[in-house]
Amino acid sequence: MPAITLEKVSREFGTFIAVDNIDLTVEEGEFVTLLGHSGCGKTTTLRMIAGLERNTGGLVSIHDQVVSDASKNYFLAPERRQLGMVFQSYAIWPHMTVFDNVAYPLRIRRKSAVEIKDRVTKTLKLVEMEQFAQRPAPALSGGQQQRVAIARALVFEPEVLLLDEPLSNLDARLRTQMGDEFRALQKRLGITSLYVTHDQAEAMALSDRVVVMHAGHILQVGAPDDIYHRPRSRAVADFFGSPNLFEGAVRGCERIGDDVFVLDVSGQGWSGRCRADMPSQAGESILVMIRPENLRVIDSGTPVKDGEITIQGRVADTIFRGARRTILLECGTANFNAEISALHPVTVGESIAFGVEPGAAWAIRP
Amino acid sequence: MTTVNAIAGDIREGRYEDRYRRLKSWGFTPRNIGMILLILFLGFLTLYPLAMLIYGSLHSTPPGMAGEFNLNGYRELLSTHNLIALLNTLGISFAKTIPSLALAVLFSWIIARTDTPFRGQLEVLITLPFFVPSILTAMAWGMLGNPKVGLINQAYMAMTGGTEPLINVFSYGGIIWHLMQHSTPFLFLFIVDVFRAMDPALEDSSRMCGASRWRTFRSITLLLMLPALTNAFILSFIRGIESFESPLFFGSPAGITVVTTEIFNAINYRSGPQPDYQYATAISVAILVLMFLMVLVQWRMLRGRSFVTVTGKGYSPNVTKLGPWRWVTFGICVLFFVVTVVLPIGQLAVGSFFRFFGFYDPSMLTLANYVKVGTNPEFWRGFCNTMVLGVLGSTVTMFLGAIVAYISVRTRWRGRTLIDTMAWLPWMMPGMVLGIGFLWAFAILPKSIPIYGTIWALFLAYIALGTPIAVRVMVGSYAQLSLDLEECSRVHGATFFQTLWRILIALAWPSFVVGWVLTFFGILRELSASVMLYSVGSEVLSVIVMKLWLNGLAEQVSVIALFMMLLVIVFRWVQLRLLKHHITTL
Repeated sequence: MPAITLEKVSREFGTFIAVDNIDLTVEEGEFVTLLGHSGCGKTTTLRMIAGLERNTGGLVSIHDQVVSDASKNYFLAPERRQLGMVFQSYAIWPHMTVFDNVAYPLRIRRKSAVEIKDRVTKTLKLVEMEQFAQRPAPALSGGQQQRVAIARALVFEPEVLLLDEPLSNLDARLRTQMGDEFRALQKRLGITSLYVTHDQAEAMALSDRVVVMHAGHILQVGAPDDIYHRPRSRAVADFFGSPNLFEGAVRGCERIGDDVFVLDVSGQGWSGRCRADMPSQAGESILVMIRPENLRVIDSGTPVKDGEITIQGRVADTIFRGARRTILLECGTANFNAEISALHPVTVGESIAFGVEPGAAWAIRP
Repeated sequence: MTTVNAIAGDIREGRYEDRYRRLKSWGFTPRNIGMILLILFLGFLTLYPLAMLIYGSLHSTPPGMAGEFNLNGYRELLSTHNLIALLNTLGISFAKTIPSLALAVLFSWIIARTDTPFRGQLEVLITLPFFVPSILTAMAWGMLGNPKVGLINQAYMAMTGGTEPLINVFSYGGIIWHLMQHSTPFLFLFIVDVFRAMDPALEDSSRMCGASRWRTFRSITLLLMLPALTNAFILSFIRGIESFESPLFFGSPAGITVVTTEIFNAINYRSGPQPDYQYATAISVAILVLMFLMVLVQWRMLRGRSFVTVTGKGYSPNVTKLGPWRWVTFGICVLFFVVTVVLPIGQLAVGSFFRFFGFYDPSMLTLANYVKVGTNPEFWRGFCNTMVLGVLGSTVTMFLGAIVAYISVRTRWRGRTLIDTMAWLPWMMPGMVLGIGFLWAFAILPKSIPIYGTIWALFLAYIALGTPIAVRVMVGSYAQLSLDLEECSRVHGATFFQTLWRILIALAWPSFVVGWVLTFFGILRELSASVMLYSVGSEVLSVIVMKLWLNGLAEQVSVIALFMMLLVIVFRWVQLRLLKHHITTL
């Protein structure tokens, strides 16, 4: 039974449609991320599940219980949905100590003092904040506030945990560390989590599945690996990094497994094989996506593998990034970029040949 | 049988549900009913007296008497006498706002941006005159600056041997001087935070571009503050037009009339054989139109200009090191405090111990004034009335303000703009004008609603006058609390009312108390609406003081005034302690 189900859920603000008729299920124990630019409707979706926003269309269920049904004008108040939530601002109540903040959900549920003490201490230990229990909340750093917010959301063992960009107010290093810590904790507790972020790296590192949203629609749902390497549209491809997209034409198509096809394609100054998730007719025009890090330099000695796409470019500029080097290349009228080892010497103006394995090139319908 | 019962039950339930749904579809939800009650109450407090004012200005006879509708009231307005009163009003208000603003900017700079010693304490001292009822300082200055027997003139004549008085407060200068004492701290309270909230980087970058300190102040600091200064200027100007005490005490003896004293005289038999209600209401409507135009100007000037400097971020502003000059700035602040607070209180204290004010001879020392006041039942009645009205009035006003503010900033309910506007309306109604409006409004009510001539008339007027400030204070308080704090509580299992109690009220109560004390001060100092609405038995302290003064009992007035000063200082102290302990930690 899925932990969260959205069926044809919409949210309109006057004439503006923030969320447009989306369907989504989140399985028990799963970590799902809603990813998108600001204004894409991801936070609105999360708030509709929380009950902080009322959906104007569709049905929201948590486990087998319908919590909101727009057609029947049924709406369960947020406090009756048994959810935990971490806010972007953490929303640590400044008039309470750390202990009081975490104890709040239990006090609301009229637990005994002994149980409250026990569970709050246990939860604070979980986030390594037990020594700060009596600290007034305003006297905490950003990272500590975040831990308290997580502890407060977990303390009453909610059905589902909702997180609204919880890491965006932290600096880059702390963000990675807290993210990893939280993922480990989530796996250990096996708690269903729905996470909203605009940071693609965060989404890929943390999630079991990523939901890419744009303008109130879901573009694609899948494992981070799927979304990154096998995007279904140009918009999804563009979301992660800066992929190279080459226009080409199909010369042949071969099925090699369930929904996996190998296409023989050619474009201006290049040709070779790529993968696709649907069959194509010969002559059809498509876009071939190649990630910059998957372009392999072919030295004069190395042989070209069978079926590899080969492409030649003149170096227009190079940027040293420490671990890698980014080179901007010109190939006829098209430009593309490649990420290669920083040790490889490159001079502006020279010509370099690249090879791309069929598995690293992916066809997208334009 | 059971089946029949079950079916009957179903039908009954169905019917009930049906009726409930129908009620709901007409909009009879608890929330809507609450909103309608709130709108009705606010309408009674603001729109009703406003409407009655216009009605009264068109009606030939006093409230409750048969008469006819005509324009005589407005016709009477068109006279040279009135033109002079109007010009006096505008001129005096303008003349007091300019120097007050300059002084306020100077003090704000000293307190917020220099290393003047004891700035924290000085700030408290400079702002104190704002909280002192004007009627008290007016009477004190009436004694201090009396051309014949005033302490200042006596001292001056004794020192120089001259026979001409140095100052005469019963003049234009006297009115302006007295108004400045109140409006300088008023403007200071606005401006000092603007100075504090300015991002120092804005000024530093000007210095890095080669501008001198003074040049930076002129072309960056001052210009950045211009919207805030304009706003403060207009507010202070409006307050000047509304002022009543200063022109009454210093203008009337010298034959200087302004609009508020004109209204007062028209109703209190001063300008004719009987009160001229139609004329008084006509002036009131005219002054309201004037106020409305002022507010319109204010809106137009502020539109599109944001308070860029006030970001609410906690900057630590640039502090100018003054060196030995810091003792000069210190001296200026102390001088202001001495002149505006110590001198009047000193005069009141001295006056209270002498048999006749002005004759300061050791043989005239007496405690008789204290005994007289202490045994005066009218004083005790007034004291009780003031305290009851103060405590009850502030409490009700703050609750009303808290509710209106919550609905207007925290909800998207229909009608919230309406209640916000209605609650703001009294802001542009001078106390005297609102007083007349209520006078008519209460007089015309049926006998079964006995408000006219009772303490309830004052009670309702005070609520109306205090509501705009109460709303502002609470809006400011809620604005500091992010909505997340409440939503987070809801998601974690608390109901709407639990959240209200445990989060919102728990966080906002210090502001509530601060607002309460402000409203209490407002009631304590209120005179212009009170003189319109009091009747025998429902006098408040300020009215009693005024009556005693007009009867020439300056010595007893001194005793009561001292007592009221003490009240002000105690409440201000409580308020400051609360501010320090609760607001700053959030």
